Amino acid sequence: MEATMDGLGSAPVEPISKAKGTGRIADPIFVALLWGSGIFVLILLGLIIAELFQGGLPALQHFGLEFIWTASWNPVTENYGALVMIYGTLFSAVIAVVVALPLSFGIAFFLTEIAPQRLKQPIGVAVQLLAAVPSIIYGMWGFFVIVPLMAAYVQPPLIDTLGQLPLLGLLFQGPPLGSGMLTAGLILAVMILPFITAMFVETLESVPPMLKESAYGVGATTYEVYKNVSVPYGRTAMVGAIMLGLGRALGETMAVTFVIGNATRLSASLFAPGATIASAIANEFPEAQLGSLKLTSLLQLGFILFVISFIVLALSRALVRSRMD
Amino acid sequence: MTSAVDPSISIATSVAARPDAPPAPVKLKVEGLQFYYGQSHALKNINFEIPEKRVTAMIGPSGCGKSTLLRVFNRMYDLYPGQRAEGQVLFDGVNIVGKELDSTVVRSRIGMVFQKPTPFPMSIYDNIAFGVRLHERLNKSQMDERVEWCLRKAAIWDETKDRLNTSALGMSGGQQQRLCIARTIAVRPEVILLDEPTSALDPISTSKIEDLIDELKRDFTIVIVTHNMQQAARCADITAFFYLGELIEVAPSDVIFTNPKEIKTRDYITGRFG
Repeated sequence: MEATMDGLGSAPVEPISKAKGTGRIADPIFVALLWGSGIFVLILLGLIIAELFQGGLPALQHFGLEFIWTASWNPVTENYGALVMIYGTLFSAVIAVVVALPLSFGIAFFLTEIAPQRLKQPIGVAVQLLAAVPSIIYGMWGFFVIVPLMAAYVQPPLIDTLGQLPLLGLLFQGPPLGSGMLTAGLILAVMILPFITAMFVETLESVPPMLKESAYGVGATTYEVYKNVSVPYGRTAMVGAIMLGLGRALGETMAVTFVIGNATRLSASLFAPGATIASAIANEFPEAQLGSLKLTSLLQLGFILFVISFIVLALSRALVRSRMD
Repeated sequence: MTSAVDPSISIATSVAARPDAPPAPVKLKVEGLQFYYGQSHALKNINFEIPEKRVTAMIGPSGCGKSTLLRVFNRMYDLYPGQRAEGQVLFDGVNIVGKELDSTVVRSRIGMVFQKPTPFPMSIYDNIAFGVRLHERLNKSQMDERVEWCLRKAAIWDETKDRLNTSALGMSGGQQQRLCIARTIAVRPEVILLDEPTSALDPISTSKIEDLIDELKRDFTIVIVTHNMQQAARCADITAFFYLGELIEVAPSDVIFTNPKEIKTRDYITGRFG
């Protein structure tokens, strides 16, 4: 077939020195918009940090760095310290991770190795839906269902048995109120479970089948393959997933506020009511007057939470990424 | 033997190296074996015998069922629902297909080395000790001995003895594959299955593995799947040719590669298809 350019249009071909490129104006605008979107994120984050820091600065100036390790939160004497909330934030988040971790391991391994095809999808979707439940719903569920259950069936026997032990007993002291650190941790565990599980599943699925078969090939059982090959293979990514879950638990507000009891006292007991940074801010912000020492202390608390979350997130990303390389 | 590029030369040498040896006892006997991946019928009524302390090669174009048969031998198909085998594979007269025997027991007697090196994410020492610990309780010095024994057997001791506690992931591909062979030997199996063990390796590493196979057949029964016909001619005493799930021909390697009975076999080994 004879192919010529004659039929493609009658416009004569211009000499290259006079030819105009297409999109000489539109394309730079498009590129500028892309730049703008990228820079916007940086500016937004920068402004939030600056605002938080500036808002909390008076509290820091008033109390000094002692603010961080002062355990009192007294609106009457205007003596504020962050220790109770920092402790509550970390303690409840750690409980959440400790509870969620074995479950996530179990679900993830079941889904990747054991589950028959028919069950895989329903369970996988159910886990994802857990992540879709709004946190206020978890809060109400925790308050109306879990708190009474804890008060009636879980806390009294634990106080009577483990509470009598020396040292370990310190964790199981106090009246069985139902709310408190442990309850908050349990609710948080349910909330972070889907995130940790999803990342575990991803990690386990990335283990080469041949590697697992080699382990089966020397006569290992399912559990031995899991423990000695699959988990070590994905170890760093899994630690990263745990940190990510921890990060989510640290900042969670609504559900925790419902069930933690909101007391600004320091206690080692799992059953004692406490407060997290987020729950304290949610509770007290409406009562804090503009320009008051309380408001600036709350803002300072927010800044501390931000720093803690940032550190945890940075660590988790570094770990997840180190696995990818 | 490693410099043989022209198949006719290597066949000639392999014939010369093997005068009529006395027939070896049968280690694995395959009887009426059928295998299914869900609906697809992957192995059709396979019958043949694998002699003890010999190298048996299985050749054939991709998808002919040779790797499938290997995976039947150590029950790897158990791991995947939907895959099933019918018929019998007798290991010293005992049927290993089906549920009578625990698959971990079968796999400790019939070890497998894969296409690509698959070192576990742990130290060289632990890679070896891993399998051993699953089946035996050894104290430290016994374990040290076992590790050295199988690393020597796999001809990799000199390269690894000073770095036993470093990660196995830092070794070269050829070293990793020999480590995998050592790891398989470590549980003292009777049969070693090699699934295209050199397909991911360079020629020098390949020839080391082939030399190793020659050594190992003194102690072990070896079954090797390979796409490389010269490798089968060089290493194997017996060669079986598979095509579309059927066993077409099985004979001593020198016969298969010089004077096959079946036309399909001849077409395949002369490169007319494949």
